[in-house]
Amino acid sequence: MKRLMKAAVATTAILAAAAFTAPHLLAQDSLYVPNLSYRTGPFAATGTPLMNGQKDYMTLLNERDGGINGVRIDYDECETGYNTERGMECYEATRANAVVTQPWSTGITLQVLPRTNVDQIPVLAPGYGFSPMADGRTFKWAFNPPSSYWDGASMLLNFVADGDLSSLEGKKIALLHLDAPYGREPIPLLEDYAREYGFTLLPIPVAVTEMQNQSAQWLQIRRESPDFVFMWGWGAMNAGAITEAVRTRYPMDQFFGIWWSGHDGDLAQAGEAASGYRAVSWNVPVPDAPIMGEIREHVIDAGLSSIGENEIDWVFYQRGITMSMMLAEAIRTAQEEFDETVVSPEQVRWGLENLDISEERLEELGMSGMIVPFQTSCANHTGHGGGWIIEWNGERFERVSDHLQADRDRITPLEEAEAAKYAEANAPWPMNDECEL
Amino acid sequence: MDLLGRIFVKPFQDMAAAPDFLIQVVWEGLVSGTLYALIALGFVLIYKSSRIFNFAQGIMVVFAALTLVGLHQMGVPALLALPMTLVVMFFLAVAIERLVLRPLVNQPDIILFMATIGITLFLIGFGETIFGGETKRMITRELYIPAGSTIFEPFGGFVAIEHLDLTALVAAILLVTSLLVFLNKTRIGRAIRALGDDHQAALSVGISLSMIWVVVWFIAGIIALVTGIAWGARAGVSFALEIIALKALPVLLLGGLESVAGAIIGGLAIGVLEKLFEIYWGQPLMGGGTETWFAFVFALIVLLFRPQGLFGERIIERV
Repeated sequence: MKRLMKAAVATTAILAAAAFTAPHLLAQDSLYVPNLSYRTGPFAATGTPLMNGQKDYMTLLNERDGGINGVRIDYDECETGYNTERGMECYEATRANAVVTQPWSTGITLQVLPRTNVDQIPVLAPGYGFSPMADGRTFKWAFNPPSSYWDGASMLLNFVADGDLSSLEGKKIALLHLDAPYGREPIPLLEDYAREYGFTLLPIPVAVTEMQNQSAQWLQIRRESPDFVFMWGWGAMNAGAITEAVRTRYPMDQFFGIWWSGHDGDLAQAGEAASGYRAVSWNVPVPDAPIMGEIREHVIDAGLSSIGENEIDWVFYQRGITMSMMLAEAIRTAQEEFDETVVSPEQVRWGLENLDISEERLEELGMSGMIVPFQTSCANHTGHGGGWIIEWNGERFERVSDHLQADRDRITPLEEAEAAKYAEANAPWPMNDECEL
Repeated sequence: MDLLGRIFVKPFQDMAAAPDFLIQVVWEGLVSGTLYALIALGFVLIYKSSRIFNFAQGIMVVFAALTLVGLHQMGVPALLALPMTLVVMFFLAVAIERLVLRPLVNQPDIILFMATIGITLFLIGFGETIFGGETKRMITRELYIPAGSTIFEPFGGFVAIEHLDLTALVAAILLVTSLLVFLNKTRIGRAIRALGDDHQAALSVGISLSMIWVVVWFIAGIIALVTGIAWGARAGVSFALEIIALKALPVLLLGGLESVAGAIIGGLAIGVLEKLFEIYWGQPLMGGGTETWFAFVFALIVLLFRPQGLFGERIIERV
């Protein structure tokens, strides 16, 4: 009798555990899409609106359309606090059923990268990560559309040089960067440009502990009087730099940021005083885009969003939306190609490799003008869609340039060389020989 | 030979060539140092009275600043939000004493230290739930803290003194002076010092441990609020402010964990020296970024000669 009781208790426990297990482990008609997010810690202020945008777009698809082609998206966040170790723990915890992983920091991306060939889960790192990931022959499983950091650096240089890079000769450009893999990412390309065009590159690192107190860095900028300051900042560093620039009276029209340094929440700290600050960005907010109305109706008004007040037209919130759109389009592309609704990670990888985010498709999605059009391929995992310059007018960012493109002739050989170097350092590294040049 | 010149000659030539810039560097160092000293002071007060290394001091800075800004966002006038924040910090001190410290009396120091890590994690989660994680603007204008700057033009150059920094400096001086008067001239202050000197003896003469703990945690909360306003005014109020508590560690190593004077002098010394080193040696010779380690190396060198820190008490134990 006792044995019978024990068996009954054990069976009940197992059934109860199964019932409480995360739905993504049981559901057959959903696609598990984890996001290694950070809504806490020193980078939460910049992470939160992006995650809100990502989550809200997936919620919209589930609420409005019942998912993608009838398959619901099981969007799940694992909190990393932008910490690489915790990011890897999250990766391990979520990879078993994931059709994609979104590592959300260059540091975590660099850690995940060597695992991709073994785990066979595509890595989606829109606008971040290791720039040579563009080389699909080397990085079969990694994607960083629509523009890489090197694309961003090239667009900024071309913009400040007004298209004539030789005009930079004798000039000085300071690179104020977070002292982390992300912040150091553009240095090799900018050094290459500096050698070729005879300008001085002055990298100025900002440690995480100094993000809120950059007086030393801005004293250096005052002493060196660079012609331009480029910022590769993140989290509290952006607001800290903008405030110090205002205090130092550095001309705002000579101060430019990469897309992660163009956040409304950061600029609002300085408000009117930061007017004229510009950043390169592959997305711009379009308040009256049809998709925003849909999100308002199906997600925000339904109480399913965590968005803060007045944040719907922020660059970062709408960027989050475009990021999830890229993933949703990859899933849709894969479903159509393989004629299956519940697609595998390998099939989603194919979808990411065959993304065609054209003007027409953006129009259909109700997202015209929100993101640069781009197209990926087997060899090109970035798409190199280019970007726009956006300017802070004291209250919000506005688009102030035509569509810019990076200097691909210069970047491609460098990407190939760095990708080859990476493959050699991680030998034996499998190459994707199916890709054609 | 060239390297020796760049280490021992060039920096001083640069200082002499642009004395206005040197003044600006020293001023910025003083401002940073004042803020480091304030954070260190929070650690010292709690350690002095309870032998607890308060890991939560950094998050208390964030929590105090967030409460102030959050109350204002909820429609409370700034000048009312300030005393209301103090009330919140008082109740936080009471809650910490009742719920965390009192049940752990007589436990080893490491247990109490771990408890402060628990307080940190709780305040992070609680703060984010109540106020959200986004960066908030410090309400300096609403608190009538003067903005703008005064420009001096010594030696043909210019030195800019931000009014905000000047206010932070004056507030810090007033706070420290009041604290010293409180510690030396009042009964409670003397009781805090007595507890710092000898717990058992202080308890035997009827000093209430729980009351003193509430008082010191509340004072640490006041210091956290002043620090939060000053730092928050520089780059907004966000959870990143918590990181600045790390800057207090070398100050504590240098000044000693039990010395109020040590925290102040240590903070100022590290603030000025790390700025001078970064500008005249770090950036030209090492590409910058020396502020992350300079203070620790400097404190380490001092500890080689004075293991108890500049102002710490030398502990002699009989075996």
